[in-house]
Amino acid sequence: MNSYVPILVLGALSLGFAVVSIGAGALTGPKRYNRAKLDAYECGIEPTPQPVGGGRFPVKYYLTAMLFIIFDIEIVFLYPWAVHFDALGIFGLVEMVLFIVTLLAAYAYVWRRGGLEWD
Amino acid sequence: MSALSVSATFAAAEFQTPSIEYSKLMPMLIVFGVALVGVLIEAFMGRTGRHQVQLILSIAGLVAAFVSVTMLAGDNQIAAVGAVAVDGPALFLQGTILLLAIPGVLTMAERSLDRGGVFTSAGSSTPGSEHERVLTATGVTQTEVFPLTMFAVGGMLLFPAANDLLTMFVALEVLSLPLYLLCGLARRRRLLSQEASLKYFLLGAFSSAFFLYGIALLYGYSGTVRLSGIAEAVSSNSGSDTLLMTGTALLAVGLLFKVGAAPFHSWTPDVYQGAPTPITGFMAACTKVAAFGALLRVLYVGLGGLAWQWEPVMWGVAILTMVVGSVVALTQTDVKRMLAYSSIAHAGFILTGLVATDTVDPDTGAVLGVSSVLFYLLAYGFITIGAFAVVTLVRDAGGEATHLSQWAGLARRSPLVAAVFTLFLAAFAGIPLTSGFTGKFAVFSAAIAGDAAPLVVIGVVMSAVAAFFYFRVVVLMFFNAPAPDGPAVAVPSPLTTVAITLSVAVTVLLGVWPTQVLDLADRASQFVR
Amino acid sequence: MNPMNYVYLSALLFSIGAAGVLLRRNAIVVFMCVELMLNATNLAFVAFARMQGNLDGQVIAFFVMVVAAAEVVIGLAIIVTIFRTRRSASVDSANLLKY
Repeated sequence: MNSYVPILVLGALSLGFAVVSIGAGALTGPKRYNRAKLDAYECGIEPTPQPVGGGRFPVKYYLTAMLFIIFDIEIVFLYPWAVHFDALGIFGLVEMVLFIVTLLAAYAYVWRRGGLEWD
Repeated sequence: MSALSVSATFAAAEFQTPSIEYSKLMPMLIVFGVALVGVLIEAFMGRTGRHQVQLILSIAGLVAAFVSVTMLAGDNQIAAVGAVAVDGPALFLQGTILLLAIPGVLTMAERSLDRGGVFTSAGSSTPGSEHERVLTATGVTQTEVFPLTMFAVGGMLLFPAANDLLTMFVALEVLSLPLYLLCGLARRRRLLSQEASLKYFLLGAFSSAFFLYGIALLYGYSGTVRLSGIAEAVSSNSGSDTLLMTGTALLAVGLLFKVGAAPFHSWTPDVYQGAPTPITGFMAACTKVAAFGALLRVLYVGLGGLAWQWEPVMWGVAILTMVVGSVVALTQTDVKRMLAYSSIAHAGFILTGLVATDTVDPDTGAVLGVSSVLFYLLAYGFITIGAFAVVTLVRDAGGEATHLSQWAGLARRSPLVAAVFTLFLAAFAGIPLTSGFTGKFAVFSAAIAGDAAPLVVIGVVMSAVAAFFYFRVVVLMFFNAPAPDGPAVAVPSPLTTVAITLSVAVTVLLGVWPTQVLDLADRASQFVR
Repeated sequence: MNPMNYVYLSALLFSIGAAGVLLRRNAIVVFMCVELMLNATNLAFVAFARMQGNLDGQVIAFFVMVVAAAEVVIGLAIIVTIFRTRRSASVDSANLLKY
């Protein structure tokens, strides 16, 4: 039974985090509602029903999507490392730092070149 | 490298921290490091001077990597928890790729032939748009080509050294992905260039999917992707033959696509014609070197026990490749397309040496199939880089004049350039006293030693056919009257001059005095297993 | 369930993908078919990992996912550029280079 305690604690923590962050947002944030904010969220696309003619969306969306994919997928290398963090020790840490630094260089490039700006 | 180590760790049954011999991987680490610094320069440096800094950095990185390859020479071991082999063939090919990349990068950096350089001012601007016109007027250029090239070179260094199939797949993609982009970045004829990029990408991705499925089946057969493990499984005949045969076939498809062997060659002419010419030269030389290195390692180290199975297939592929390359080249009217078919034919000649398998020269102890291919790749690479560099010089108002009819009477306009191109064509044709002859002699004698005499006969006949279309160009340049509105021969900056001079020097040197390099290839012909 | 069935399924998916590459005309769809082939390969790797009793296949699947993502990005970039030029993503309209 003891081995399940961390899971319960984690569950409580995440519940607490959700409640606190949503609550804090609702209490402290400015409340300026407009149509875009009340729409359903679909990663930046106009939500359904789409306009007649196939519902084109801007090329900018592709750029954001591509950047998202490439930075998002790297998590698969972090995951095994996180699972065996202790056994991999300093070696794993050094390798992961190298890996993240490599990604950071790409991120810096994207940021400096305005890849993260929507307009 | 970090990612590889993670996989290796998980592969081990007993969990132990792996270690990586960074010093043994130095050539690749230098090249990748330079590429990363290049990305940061693109991010943080202003436009002015970026081109020079990138050029100097890239060349310095390539030279440093070459020096570290020479310092590793003689090593014969497996590094990075079995992922990378540091042995004779790997180091010889890495040295070759680095040496070829130097003139390759020099021709890419040429800016005096075309205002702003070979590459478009912005790959993202739509051809013919106002945006493009404004950018072109500023004379800027896409300097990202340098880091992209360095990433491609890094992948090429890893490809022939990969000792397991997963590393080989990752290397294949690391070398291919930048090349797909580089193909689409031409300043002139951007529609052609983008189309070349799309075709190369779709077919390249298609072939690498086959390569990958081949890896999956071989993994299913042997339970490992390590080449030595697969060799063990083959010799003990422990798994399903269906998996082994299908896996081998699919793996070969992926590799033969990259070397441009028939029947997987159809992308070559389109991509070679549409890509910016310096990229074509770089790609034609370096990709072929890297891919043949990987093909050799897979067939000799991993599937050597299966030689009696794949040898007849390779015979067929070699014959088909030589015939298609030489015969179709006869009908070409575009210089770049003709050189593309010529590169297909040369892939066939190299395959001829490869089928000699592990026949050992009794005098030198060299593995003939490996040493002859190593030498041929070095010779062929420099001829190719040089020939494509010459193509960039013949220009009219619309950019490079690549139609053969425009080359008529070129010798009257510039005897020197015509003579240099003639030298390269003679070397392609395998005329004595050029490196092409020594290379062909090496692969053909290896094939004879490996009991493949019929293949050599076809090879010699096809060399004669190929010689015919090479000399048609020579005749065209020297004995035809130039067209009145024909192209002029532009005077390049020292960058292209150095690249062409280097290629001429190597081509002549390896033809007149090849002993040293042949000895080196002989000594480098042992794979670590 | 016999893990070999998953290998058969992966071969089937791979063939569907390969057929799609050869038959479809829209570059995006062709490209999605290539991705289907890669994912079929992933299935084969995982099934073989189960049959062989080691984890290599599962780790390889991670690598393939990352490579596939990188390929998606490069491919989309090329296709979007071409589409903006030609207003069409049909591979048949990419016909300037021949002979």
